[in-house]
Amino acid sequence: MLKDNFNLAYKNIRERMSRSILTLLGIAIGIMAITSLMAIGEGMQDAVTGELSSLSDTIIVTTGEGISTSSMGMGGGISLSEDNGEYLTERDIADIQRIHGVKDVNTQLSSIGIARYNGEDVSVYIIGMETEPMELKYGLEDIESGSLLKEGDKNKIVIGYDVAHEYFDTDVYIGGRIKINGKKFVVNGIFAKQGGGSISPTSNVILLTLGDFKKLTGESNIRSATVKVYDIDEVDSIAEKIEQEINENHGEDDYATATTMSSILESIQSVIGIMQMVLLAIASIALVVASIGIMNTMLTSVMERTHDIGIMKAIGATNKDVMLIFIIEGILVSVVGGTFGILFGIFGSQAISALMARSGMGGGITLIPVITMTSVGLAVGVSILVGILSSLYPAWKAARMSPIEAVRYE
Amino acid sequence: MNKDVIVTKNISKTYGKGDVKVHALRRTSINITLGDYIAIIGPSGSGKSTFMNLIGCLDKPSSGKLFIDGTDVSQLNENQLATIRREKIGFIFQKYNLIPTLNALENVSLSMSFAGVKNKERLKRAEKLLGMVDLSKRMLHKPSELSGGEQQRVAIARALSNDPSIILADEPTGNVDTKSGSRIMGILEDINNKGETVITVTHDPNIAKRAKRILKIQDGVVSEENA
Ligand SMILES: Nc1ncnc2c1ncn2[C@@H]1O[C@H](COP(=O)(O)OP(=O)(O)OP(=O)(O)O)[C@@H](O)[C@H]1O
Ligand SMILES: [Mg+2]
Repeated sequence: MLKDNFNLAYKNIRERMSRSILTLLGIAIGIMAITSLMAIGEGMQDAVTGELSSLSDTIIVTTGEGISTSSMGMGGGISLSEDNGEYLTERDIADIQRIHGVKDVNTQLSSIGIARYNGEDVSVYIIGMETEPMELKYGLEDIESGSLLKEGDKNKIVIGYDVAHEYFDTDVYIGGRIKINGKKFVVNGIFAKQGGGSISPTSNVILLTLGDFKKLTGESNIRSATVKVYDIDEVDSIAEKIEQEINENHGEDDYATATTMSSILESIQSVIGIMQMVLLAIASIALVVASIGIMNTMLTSVMERTHDIGIMKAIGATNKDVMLIFIIEGILVSVVGGTFGILFGIFGSQAISALMARSGMGGGITLIPVITMTSVGLAVGVSILVGILSSLYPAWKAARMSPIEAVRYE
Repeated sequence: MNKDVIVTKNISKTYGKGDVKVHALRRTSINITLGDYIAIIGPSGSGKSTFMNLIGCLDKPSSGKLFIDGTDVSQLNENQLATIRREKIGFIFQKYNLIPTLNALENVSLSMSFAGVKNKERLKRAEKLLGMVDLSKRMLHKPSELSGGEQQRVAIARALSNDPSIILADEPTGNVDTKSGSRIMGILEDINNKGETVITVTHDPNIAKRAKRILKIQDGVVSEENA
């Protein structure tokens, strides 16, 4: 029975080839949208999660509101909130160090400075830190050329990728001289191009030794500290203790915020989740349009085949038999369309991510689209569902036709 | 004495309402027994097709009762009617009415698929039936690739596929030449000789003469004509 229905449906589709192809295309586009959006969304999750989860033993302590992830669009990076004039003290740092389970604490000083190279002035974000935590914080993979600063280095800097390649008309190389706030520094290292979602953005910074930084700015304000813990399971409770200690030190309830990576991860994932939902909603509209297309085609086909339907009923087809023929036809069209859609979606998402990488959109995230069995399954399921839903009404109309149609002639 | 396969009790059919009301068939009571060979004659528009469509369960009478094999079909729902059409009746139409997208074999096999016959058995039986109507060499041809006479023979094979006890043929030779026509009538006579009930509408007095009974319809009134 089913085999015959397939045969009938296939022959009907073939009989009306160009119309079928157009209908098929509609559903293919809808499914393509869904597949590629899910692949890109999945890839985005992977990219962000991969980069952040290696930092799950890290707590960022800042004054005020803490770290903002709201600006996390397509990998804008995580940024500190505005300088609010509140800073961490040496005593705060010492107290954090004393909390049970804390492995070590890194502090860094930061400020905005004017950098001059070849007579061009730009404003840059300058960071001063001890050389020891510097090595802990940045690895070899973070450096494009040159090296980090060593103990005893003076007037040497490490510059961000963008500072080296984007900020000035000419690229800056190792050994190049940059004046910061009027003082001469030699470029010792250049940071590599960074993926998005990195916890310490390096692309627009200039890194100095703590000594140089203090001499240059006269500042010794600590705006944030990076805390590593021994046991990942304790990370949340330690973060809470840190907040308590510092708030106590300053006698203020919300003086400091200790943010764990997992909470950042969660908020980023929820942002991506919302984005995916919105994109999927848009894709669903494409599918609704496609199913209206199928319904329209099938209704036309039912009208054209009034006589054939009458014949089938006259030779003994039940309403159910007739309905099944049309529903299977609908499913066949939408599943074939959906299969093309999935294939287009796989290639399409690859193309989109390649395009994004080339145009520099997405903040340098290396987005590898991920096609999961779930998303393929979902796409197939949606195709079948669309096929059934959109053919239900035409099939019902067909089933209701009278066998007398077989002997009615124009 | 053979049993009655078709019994009509005062069945009538009217089309339309008021001024355009047509009494296509007037209160007709008639018994048709198993193995009968009946020719229905009458002028154009007299109600022959109307009568055939009613006893073929394609249409419902406006009033009266119709029994097929003892079952009162006026009481049946659509599904049950479909079952009667499938199991008890083989309909042969004037214009063949084959499904244009299917080849001869598939057309014959289709009605068996509605009866739930297994694919393999269906093909075997369809081949046998097409062989019986001399179309073994045309099995994979579509209707558009067959002559009128050939198409009608495919239709006969299809009508026989579910082994019905009643074969209804409404002007089966109306659209074919004389030679093909007599061949088709020959097949129908063979079928009747095997014990099936055959009812055929015809305009041809020579064909009518070969039937066991002749029913004449005039203005919707059915009367027996002595052969
Ligand atoms: N669906 C319909 N609606 C209205 N009137 C109809 C309908 N079908 C048939 N009629 C009328 O009923 C009458 C009987 O028609 P029917 O088709 O039974 O005649 P027939 O004897 O088969 O004629 P023919 O030899 O031309 O085939 C005719 O007057 C016809 O116009
Ligand atoms: Mg007629």
